[in-house]
Amino acid sequence: MELYLPIAELSINPIIFLILGMLVGILSGMFGVGGGFLMTPLLILLGIPPAVAVASEANHIVGSSLSGTIGHLKRNAVDIKLGNLLLVGGMLGSFVGISIFNSLIKVGLIDLLITLTYFLFLTSIGSFMLYESLDSMGFFSKKKRSKPYHHSWIMGLPFRMRFKKSGLYISIIPPLTIGFIVGILASIMGVGGGFIMIPAMIYIIRMPTSVVIGTSLYQIIFVTAIVTLLHSYHNQTVDIVLALILLLGGAVGAQIGVKLSSKLQGPMLRASLAVLVLSVGIIMASDLLIRPSETITLLIGGGSH
Amino acid sequence: MNTYFKIIFILTFLCAQAPLDLVIDTNERDVQINPGISGTRVVLFGATPIGRRDIMIEIVGPPKNQTMQEKRRFFGIWLGRGKSYYTNVPSYYNILSSKPFMEITSQKNLNKLGLGIENLPLGKAKIKHSTVKQVKFDNRLRSEMYDKGQFLEKEGNVILKSGPGKVGLFKTEFLLPPNSLQGKYFIRYFLFQNGEAISYAESSIDLKQAGFARLIWLFANKFALLYGIIAIILSGLLGWIVSILFTRLKLI
Repeated sequence: MELYLPIAELSINPIIFLILGMLVGILSGMFGVGGGFLMTPLLILLGIPPAVAVASEANHIVGSSLSGTIGHLKRNAVDIKLGNLLLVGGMLGSFVGISIFNSLIKVGLIDLLITLTYFLFLTSIGSFMLYESLDSMGFFSKKKRSKPYHHSWIMGLPFRMRFKKSGLYISIIPPLTIGFIVGILASIMGVGGGFIMIPAMIYIIRMPTSVVIGTSLYQIIFVTAIVTLLHSYHNQTVDIVLALILLLGGAVGAQIGVKLSSKLQGPMLRASLAVLVLSVGIIMASDLLIRPSETITLLIGGGSH
Repeated sequence: MNTYFKIIFILTFLCAQAPLDLVIDTNERDVQINPGISGTRVVLFGATPIGRRDIMIEIVGPPKNQTMQEKRRFFGIWLGRGKSYYTNVPSYYNILSSKPFMEITSQKNLNKLGLGIENLPLGKAKIKHSTVKQVKFDNRLRSEMYDKGQFLEKEGNVILKSGPGKVGLFKTEFLLPPNSLQGKYFIRYFLFQNGEAISYAESSIDLKQAGFARLIWLFANKFALLYGIIAIILSGLLGWIVSILFTRLKLI
């Protein structure tokens, strides 16, 4: 069984990619992440050129996050109003992020920035979420836990708006700002940013975990659609065949993930996402700290010229 | 191995008046392939004068951009900041011969003729943020390409046979890997006698993808914006259909 990918220009075994798409799809539906931060390294490992991997992965996530969003919409667990607000901030942020990215390429510091942002964010977000979720499951102390959804002064800023689905009445400034910052980071790291956005939605905006996942997926649809369009227009690196194979598995996986997420409880769900994020961070860190066997290596994919 | 066979006839004519000339058919050949997972097998054969002669055949694929990175330690962290950018590295190189190289000729001759992986020109590289000399990057690039099976040396892979009269026949074959770049592959023939190259000829094949895959590639490159929009719509549509199927059929 083999299939030729027209843009990646190589032949693959579609079964492997179907299964891979499904596994990442389950995670996507469960946690509300696009899964780019997991899938892209895996695709590169399987021999897909990095530029094609990043672009086709974005195209794949358009469909899988749409599938997941529909699943969550049926459970009435998407806050479209708040999602739109985050999206507007995110769009503005990604334009700023791309210009930072381009100016850092010129001074040759982009790799340092990408690796450090990845490492710092994955490990700090991962360990914080793990601590918090274990704490709220009562692992650390018997003392009264802080209420998860209290109002802070930040949310009392002007331009307050009511968000029915999330049960919030807060200022629109924090969601816009968070969207903006995540947009910058996501475009520097070349990911959709779900794994940064979700903790921000839970811990800063104080949205209920059940609504967070659907809302995150909802805005990922639009972010990845734009990324797909930019890559296909500027670099012609979107492999439609690869994206659709991943999606066949991914859309099915997303549905399973949605089902699973309704079975798991909030703190448990957060703890599982934390473990996932933390382990990716640790793997990346080991790559930074261990002396490579060869200091000069071929950069797969040719890099940017 | 047996999925796709493409046989290319590259004929070498013997000219009776000038027996040392290696003349080959110079027509370019377009090879349309449906690349399989195991690659494309190319068979070369032709005729040479008989006698104590040897053949070396070199195949050089279309050029490609390559980047080497040099990792150095910054504050205890290994970072690949040093880069060496190449714009003209052959994507495929193979050298075939009728005997081990050292039995055909000397290393000095190979260097002079530019034969073999270590003599393959890689072009001038643009080195950034590194003090390492290009030679060092070049050597690592050669060995990585060799490890990946994109630079090959197949000593003794050309079979020589005696044909009718004073004509000798040679035959050899090589495998273009499934991810071979499209474009022109130059084939150079060197005829050796007593360790000296006495004749040279070249031809080329043009590797092109055939069929549906080629159409998608053309579409993505010629109508990039439209392709992107279609990619998004297809992806969204498939995601939507799957979610509907799941609800209707109550699969889970």
